[in-house]
Amino acid sequence: MHAVSACMRTLKTFVVTFILFSAPFVNSAFGQSFTLSGFVKDSLNGESIKGVQITEITSGATVSSNSYGFYSITIKMGTYNFRVNSADFEPKLLSISLIENLELNIELAPKAEDIGEVNVRAKKNDNVKKIDISTQSLSGKVIKKIPAFLGEADVIKSIQLLPGVTTVGEGASGFNVRGGSIDQNLVLMDDAPVFNSAHLFGFFSIFNPDAVKDVQLIKGGIPSNYGGRLSSVLDVTTKDGNNKTYQGSGGVGTIFSRLTLEGPLLKNKASFLVSGRRSYIDVLAAPFLNEDLKGSQFYFYDLTTKFNYQNKRNRFFISSYAGDDIFYAADAFGVKWGNNTVTARWNHVFNKRLFSNVTYYYSRYRYNLEFSNGDDLSFNWTSYIFNNSLKSDVKYYLNPKNELGAGFQSTYYILRPGNAIAKNSLGSNNFSLPDKFGLENAVYLTEDFNSTGRFSLRVGLRISQFLYLGKSNVYNYREPFAPGQRRFVDSVWQAGDNEVITNYINPEPRLGFKYQLNKSASIKGGYNRMVQYLHLISNTAASVPFDVWSLSTNNIKPELADQYTIGYFKNFTLGGYEFESSFETYYKDLQNQVDYVDGANLLLNEYLEGELINGVGRAYGLEAYLKKSTGKLTGWISYTLSRSERQSNGINDNEWYPSRFDRLHNLYVVAQYQHNKSWDFAANFVLSSGTPTTFYTGQYTVQGYTVPDAGSNARNNIRNPYYHRLDLSATYTKKKKGKWETNWVFSVYNAYNRRNPFSIYFSTNHENTGMNKAIQFSVIGSIVPAISYNFKWN
Amino acid sequence: MKLLRALFILSAFGFLSTSCEDIIDVNVDQKQKKIVVDAFVNNLDTTQQITLTESVPYFATPGTEPFISDATVLIADTSASNFKIFPFIHKDSGVYEWTPKPSTGDTFQVGRQYALIIIHRGDTLISACRLNPTVSVIDSLSAVPVEGNGPPFIDSGKYVELFANDLPGMGNFYWVKTFRNDTFLNDIRNLNISQDMGNNSNGQDGGLFIYPIRFSGINQFLRPYRDGEKVRVEVHSITLEAFFWFNLIVNERNNGGLFATPPVNIQSNIIPLNKNMERGVAGFFCISDVRSAEIRIKEF
Repeated sequence: MHAVSACMRTLKTFVVTFILFSAPFVNSAFGQSFTLSGFVKDSLNGESIKGVQITEITSGATVSSNSYGFYSITIKMGTYNFRVNSADFEPKLLSISLIENLELNIELAPKAEDIGEVNVRAKKNDNVKKIDISTQSLSGKVIKKIPAFLGEADVIKSIQLLPGVTTVGEGASGFNVRGGSIDQNLVLMDDAPVFNSAHLFGFFSIFNPDAVKDVQLIKGGIPSNYGGRLSSVLDVTTKDGNNKTYQGSGGVGTIFSRLTLEGPLLKNKASFLVSGRRSYIDVLAAPFLNEDLKGSQFYFYDLTTKFNYQNKRNRFFISSYAGDDIFYAADAFGVKWGNNTVTARWNHVFNKRLFSNVTYYYSRYRYNLEFSNGDDLSFNWTSYIFNNSLKSDVKYYLNPKNELGAGFQSTYYILRPGNAIAKNSLGSNNFSLPDKFGLENAVYLTEDFNSTGRFSLRVGLRISQFLYLGKSNVYNYREPFAPGQRRFVDSVWQAGDNEVITNYINPEPRLGFKYQLNKSASIKGGYNRMVQYLHLISNTAASVPFDVWSLSTNNIKPELADQYTIGYFKNFTLGGYEFESSFETYYKDLQNQVDYVDGANLLLNEYLEGELINGVGRAYGLEAYLKKSTGKLTGWISYTLSRSERQSNGINDNEWYPSRFDRLHNLYVVAQYQHNKSWDFAANFVLSSGTPTTFYTGQYTVQGYTVPDAGSNARNNIRNPYYHRLDLSATYTKKKKGKWETNWVFSVYNAYNRRNPFSIYFSTNHENTGMNKAIQFSVIGSIVPAISYNFKWN
Repeated sequence: MKLLRALFILSAFGFLSTSCEDIIDVNVDQKQKKIVVDAFVNNLDTTQQITLTESVPYFATPGTEPFISDATVLIADTSASNFKIFPFIHKDSGVYEWTPKPSTGDTFQVGRQYALIIIHRGDTLISACRLNPTVSVIDSLSAVPVEGNGPPFIDSGKYVELFANDLPGMGNFYWVKTFRNDTFLNDIRNLNISQDMGNNSNGQDGGLFIYPIRFSGINQFLRPYRDGEKVRVEVHSITLEAFFWFNLIVNERNNGGLFATPPVNIQSNIIPLNKNMERGVAGFFCISDVRSAEIRIKEF
């Protein structure tokens, strides 16, 4: 009986293999091959661990656990020794006789931290051996060590210290990756996209570090399971919740407080996590507000929850996020913005080698703006992006050399560009624009060929489709009077409900390779084509929460990017300490970039498409990265030399000009020093070339109005001064008392009181003097000290 | 605990007040001088003026613009049946004048197409404009009492409201000029332009000008009108191009701060015949049809 079923299994394997693969990749599918598979978990809290390498010691065959902690390795019958390794966990050796398929869940113990030294490296040479290029991971632990604004560890601020990542400045939402704009980053929270990752205009991000398990940033060689944005993927995974014991953690900071609770619902099977933050400036300020401002609200909050269930073959979770920023000044003025996401995911292990994943998510970003004189005049504006998505993928672990993946995703969008109603004593005016609809579909295939020799290859293809759907007014525009000028409507027709207005289909090939030079050095490369069907429409210096998003339409073409990247990765030991280094270069070619006519009217404009110009872009650069990963002093130095340029007909005399976020030099230094069990210290230093800006050069008077003049049509012709800043922090950790662990974080942001210009702008007729003045605006104009208190209980 | 609370309040407020603005010296070269043409004329029977000056560096004191007195300036009626030339003669300080003669039919007329021609030191500048109709009638201009809530919003006192209807049909543009005791209110907050009956392209047509146009744009909210003051409001027809040109001025004058958009070079509708002309051209040419109304503020 056993023999028959084994035979059937072999036959099945053979058939599947034969159909799925071309001959050269097949080697061990015949005969007595068995599969070792299972999940890798944290022994203390049951959290799954991704990126753990399981290596068969004799042959060197290696597999890594996927995002859900699942691994699968198929090799010939025999007795093997496996080494299991991960960055933050104690390594493990397993001796296994593989005489049948074996399911084995591996539990790893976290590395003890009280040894007085920190080890922030991943598995030795992991960065060199893995095929992933331009990819960086930060664990919640590392993020918490980086000195942060007002002492609050922050995901986005930490990302901004990595090579290739820049920001326009403090108070700007989002981040720029390799010369791309902020909407070109796919920011995912448990798979659901987040459209504005900022609290308080960008001073904090919406990710609560207490709930974050890990963060991965992919800047190049983006695998085919990701799509929809041109420049990067920021994949934030929240914790599953401890399924062994109850635990709590939190903190009291200057701006907000945090509390996280997690624990088992069914031991080892089901767990929950609830994590919240709320700012309390309003509570503290309440006694100081005068009568007029009584009843004002200004705060932000977020709440992250996760429910997780797993049995032998299934894992299911529901994760949700809700957060808002709310600023209401009595009843005169109010703004509110926030994201909501819900993700439900089901992982299923069909058999030892076939792993599947079905995800549904819902994500909504909305904002609201209100003015009122408290009487009969009022203005109310609401806007949102809503999307619903279903995706499914499977991964087939053929053998240690080949992993095959396939999947699809379908996303339905509803955009409300603006519902605006103005009221006065005589009635109301409705400025609302109709909702817009779209459907984005994608199918993808990927094959990872991990040779035990020197060469590895990852080939992927994604085919994406975007349907711009009715109901909508569809406009055709006339050619502009001159390039770069506004276009006016030529004709209009009405598309009915769900009628397809435009259908775009784009193949998106992806490629990655690695050539191992020796044990500690490799050359890696990657190519990706990315397509983006959703565009942020904004021409301000900093992105505002009230920016308009638009779908691709018959007039707004999908944005395309081709990126080529190649890098040299080398690890070495110096003075007994281990170092990782990398040098990467990239070139990015961008098409259909959104640019704006002079004086574009972007808000509540039915004819928005006529205000947009179709431009091209290019970005290129060199990134050098050196990380010291062992010893009392750890950290990294990152230097990026880069250019980001745009060209649009009718702008800057049709010549290339630097984009708003072009910074030639970027130097980041991050250092952490573990002094003893009680004290550790950290510092960041940032030095960046100034961002470009456009200055007026002249002025004249017509009809009594003074008009500023930009001279020729130059765009972004002058640089702001260099940006540099030093932040320091010291953490005092108290001895663990029973179940309680506490620490105090003392931090100083902008330690030497630099007034970094965020922008230089002009004040025409300054204070009614008739004179024009240049004003340098610094968002942070002083040293910002802070204290926060953190606790953990388990 | 008290200390801790005080500490928190201190740092929270510290954070809120940490942004700052500094006036700095910026060295900007005025790379290109421009001939500035101020050619807003109308079809009233009064003397019409066109002013020619030169642009000055951005940080120069206003009012120091050098004027151009040696140019040839003329407007031509380019209708095939009625080709006529109206010469503007230099009067003083860069101001060129021409007075219409209704008796001989030498006036600007609604519906006709006009060209502006300027010749200066070998450079020829040209522009064209159609004379569009303005509102057919101003129903009234009335004083209204307002109970305000004080600076920075609106002071209590008397304000003026304009009652006039947009012309039927889409695509009419107006410039509403307010004169307080014969002084034109040239504050940028009073630059009052309208697309059809509103200030947005939302398809409303033919009705009373919306509140921001008929009220907000013609008053100075911290300076209510006093008894005995004279207020005149003129509704000028303008072209679509002029409407956008004024809009750009408003945008540029209000541009600044954290959410500033890139400064924009406001394109003139006057172009040089020689595309490679060294000097640039700024300013605007527009001929308007005008209706006006006047009121003297009295005690209620």
